[in-house]
Amino acid sequence: MEQLFYYLKVSWFSIKRAPLPYMLTVLILSLGLGVFFSNATFYYRMNSDPLPDKSDKLFFPMLMLVPYQCSDCKPPPVLSYSNVAKLDVSTIPSAKAAMYSADGYLRQHAAQPPTPVTVRITQRDFFSMFDVPLLHGTIWADNQARDELLLSKATAEKILGRTDVVGQQLLLDDRLFTIIGVLDDWQMLPKLYDAYNRQYLNPVEDVYLPLESGYDYNYLSSTNSSTFDDADFRKLATDGRNKALHQLQYWVQLDTPAQQQAYRQFMANLVTDEKAAGRHPSAEANQLVMLRDIVRYFGGESADIKAFAIVTLLFLLVSVFNASHLSLNRYLSNQYEFSLRRALGANRSQLQMQLLVDMGLMSTFTLAGAAVIAYGCTKLMNSLWPANHLFAGWDVQLMLALAVLTLFCSYLVTLYPSLRASFGSLNKQLKE
Amino acid sequence: MPLHLLFKSLQRRKVVTTLLLVQLAMTFALLLNSILLAQQTRQQLQQSTGLPLQQTLQVQLKPTTIALRQYPALGDLLTRQLEAIRTVPGVVAVAYSNQGPLLQGGNNGNVEDPDREELSRANAVPLYTVSADFFNVLQLQVLAGELPQHEIAVDGVAKSPVVITQSLANKVFDDKPAVGRLVNRGPVAAVVADFYGQRWAGTVNYNSIQVAPLLGVDWGYSLLIRTTSDSTTKVRQALTQVLQQVDSNIEIFYIRTLAEQQQLLYSNEFGLASLLSLLSALMLLVSMISSYSNAYFHTLKHQQEIGIKRALGASKGRIFTELLSENWLTTALGAVAGVGCALVLNQVLAQVISIPSLNWWLPLLTCTVLLLCVTVATWYPATIATRISPATATKAL
Repeated sequence: MEQLFYYLKVSWFSIKRAPLPYMLTVLILSLGLGVFFSNATFYYRMNSDPLPDKSDKLFFPMLMLVPYQCSDCKPPPVLSYSNVAKLDVSTIPSAKAAMYSADGYLRQHAAQPPTPVTVRITQRDFFSMFDVPLLHGTIWADNQARDELLLSKATAEKILGRTDVVGQQLLLDDRLFTIIGVLDDWQMLPKLYDAYNRQYLNPVEDVYLPLESGYDYNYLSSTNSSTFDDADFRKLATDGRNKALHQLQYWVQLDTPAQQQAYRQFMANLVTDEKAAGRHPSAEANQLVMLRDIVRYFGGESADIKAFAIVTLLFLLVSVFNASHLSLNRYLSNQYEFSLRRALGANRSQLQMQLLVDMGLMSTFTLAGAAVIAYGCTKLMNSLWPANHLFAGWDVQLMLALAVLTLFCSYLVTLYPSLRASFGSLNKQLKE
Repeated sequence: MPLHLLFKSLQRRKVVTTLLLVQLAMTFALLLNSILLAQQTRQQLQQSTGLPLQQTLQVQLKPTTIALRQYPALGDLLTRQLEAIRTVPGVVAVAYSNQGPLLQGGNNGNVEDPDREELSRANAVPLYTVSADFFNVLQLQVLAGELPQHEIAVDGVAKSPVVITQSLANKVFDDKPAVGRLVNRGPVAAVVADFYGQRWAGTVNYNSIQVAPLLGVDWGYSLLIRTTSDSTTKVRQALTQVLQQVDSNIEIFYIRTLAEQQQLLYSNEFGLASLLSLLSALMLLVSMISSYSNAYFHTLKHQQEIGIKRALGASKGRIFTELLSENWLTTALGAVAGVGCALVLNQVLAQVISIPSLNWWLPLLTCTVLLLCVTVATWYPATIATRISPATATKAL
C-alpha cells in the first residue's frame, strides 16, 4: 500500500509539473468517450430486448388477404377485423391478442375537466403475453365487449389520487366504465408490440379497453388505419368488422419450433382457401415476424442514431489518437527522469507499475469528465431528437461499460509511451 | 525550405507524425460529410413550399366530448370558431381543414382517372376536406377552372367537386386539361398551383382538396389562419383565449406558424446536422490542440538546432515559415488521406441516411478550413521558435 501511495505521489508531481498537457489529454479523451457513450446509450436501449425470455416466441402474422391484386407487395402492416377473426380460429398458439391504440379523454365526473389519455384496445391475453404486472384487481374474464377498463398506476394516481380503485367508475369519452384492475409500474422499452411507424419509441398506454368495446364505441386507431374498399371509418361496429378496414396488430405466442411450423402451414392453408373462394386475388405473401425482428421488418430503425453512432465511433478514435499523441509528447518530455530512475536501479517492472498507476489516475479523471460530457450530450440529443427521450436513461450495466471502455482507452493512450520509456536504450535516453 | 528537407524533418518523428496524419484525415472526412449534410438540410428547409409560411398560423385541436365531434354540434362549433377568429384584429382569412399542409404523413389515398386506373394512379395523395376559404388562406393561385364556393358532403349522393394541384393534374391526366374530367374522388373543378403537402407521400406537391363538411374529427382538425404580416404574434397570443371562449370543451394540441411546421418537418435532419457540426467543431479543436502540441514540443526539443540555424544566418521569418511549412505539409498529406476516408464515410453513412455524394469543390474548401485552423494553432509555437537566440547554438558546443 505504501508503495502504491508512493507511485500516486510521483504521478501527482508529474501532473503538477506540466498540468496543461495532462489536462488536455484528459479533456480530449473525456470528450471522445462522453460523446460516444451518450449516443451508445440511445443505441443500446433502442435495440435492447424488453422480453428476453419470450421475444423468440411471440410472432406477428401478416397476410395478403386484401381486395386488390399485387404480385410483389408486402402484406399490410395492420390487419382487418375479419382477417383477425380468421386467424383467431387456430388453436395452435398458446396465447393470442389483437390490439390497437386510440386516444380518449378520461374524467371522474362530468364536472371535472377531461384528461387526455392514450388507450390500448386489446384482448385478455395481451397481459400475459407481454408480462404486464397487475397491482390491483383482475383482467377481463373473456374477450367479450364490456364496460370495464384497466388503468396504469400513474393514471390511477393522477385521476383518482391513489391506486386501490378497483370497482370505481370513470367517464371515458363521456361513457361510464368500471375499473377492474390497476397495473403495477410498467414501461416496456422499446414498445415492440406497436412497432410500425416508429411507435415503439412511445411510452405504454394509460388505459386498457376490451377490443370489442373499442369497435362498438367507434374508437379509431390513432396510429395507422387504412381501407381497401368503401368502408366508412365512422362505422367501426359494422364496416370495421365486415369490410377491409385495417387497423389491428395481432400477436400470437408460439412456444416451440413445431408450433411455429404448424402456424405457418395454417396461414398458408388459410390464404389458399380464401383465394379459392374468390375472396382475394393476390399471391401468397405471408409473414410471421418474431417480436425481436419487428422493428427491422417495418424498417423503423433509427437511422439518425445509427449514423451518429458511426460518427461518434470515429470521433472516439480521433480522440484516442490525439490523446496518445499528447501523452507521447508528455512522456518524451519526462524521459530523462525515467532514464535516471532506471540508471539508479529501478527495474522495468517498477517503471511499468508506475505507468499503470499513471493510467489508473488518468482513467479516474477521464471517467469523471466523460460522465459529465455524456450527461450534457444526452441532454442535447434529447432536445434535438425529443422522440427518443425515453431511451436516455443510464443503468449500472451501462456505467460499468463506460468504466471498462475508459480503462481500455487510457491503457491504449499510455501503452506506447510507457513501452518507449521502459524499453528504450538507456544511454541514448540519458543523452537526449 | 525544400520539400525533401521538410519530409526528412517529419520522418524524424515517425510515430507522432503518423498519429497526427490519421487524426487530420479523420477530421477532414467528418468535416466534409458534416458540411454535405448541413448543406442538404439547408436546401430542404429552403425549398419552395408554395405557401405563405410566416403569416399563416395552424391550430391543431380536437373536441373533448363525443357530441362535439359529430354533426350537427360539430358544424355549429366550426361556424362559431371561424366567426370568432375572423373578429380578431389582424386576421385576413380563416378556414378549417381535416389536416394541415407540411406534414410527415396523414390522411391520404389514391387519386386516379377511372378510365385509366393503373396508368394514371397517384398513390398516397393527401386528401383535404376544407372550408371554401382554404385557398384564400394559403394564397393558392387558381391555374384553371373555378374554385367551389359551397360545402358539398364528400359522401353525399352528388360527388363533391375536387380541386387538385398542377403536378397531380399532370400525372393523372398526362399533361392534358383536367378541369371537367373525373377522378375517383369526384369531378375536377379547378387546378391550383403546387404546394407542399406530406413528406411521406409519393410526391410532396400532389394534393387533392374537397370543399366539404368534415367527415369526423376523431383524429382532430386544423384551423388555418392568415394574418397581416405584422400581427402574426398578436393573433397567435389571442387564439387560445378566443377558442376557449367559443367552447371550452376542446383540446388545443399546438398553435404554430407554417414556417415552424416546416422546421419540424426536417427536425431529425436538422438535429443530425447540428450534432455533426458540433462534433466537427470539436474535432477541429482536437486537431488544433494536436498541431499546437506537436509544434510546441518540436520547438522545445530542437531549440539548439534552431539556434544553430539562426547563428548560420537564418532570419526569424525563415524559422517561422519553416515551422508553419512543416504543419502545412502534414495537413496537406492528411487532407489527401482524408479524401479517401471521406469517400468511405460517405458510403457508410449513405447506407443509413440520405446524404449527397461528394463533389469536387468541397474537399478544397474543407482543406482550406483545416489549413487555416492548423495555421492558427501553430502560430504561437512558431513565434516562440523565432525568439530563440543564436547564442543557444553555443550550448551545443
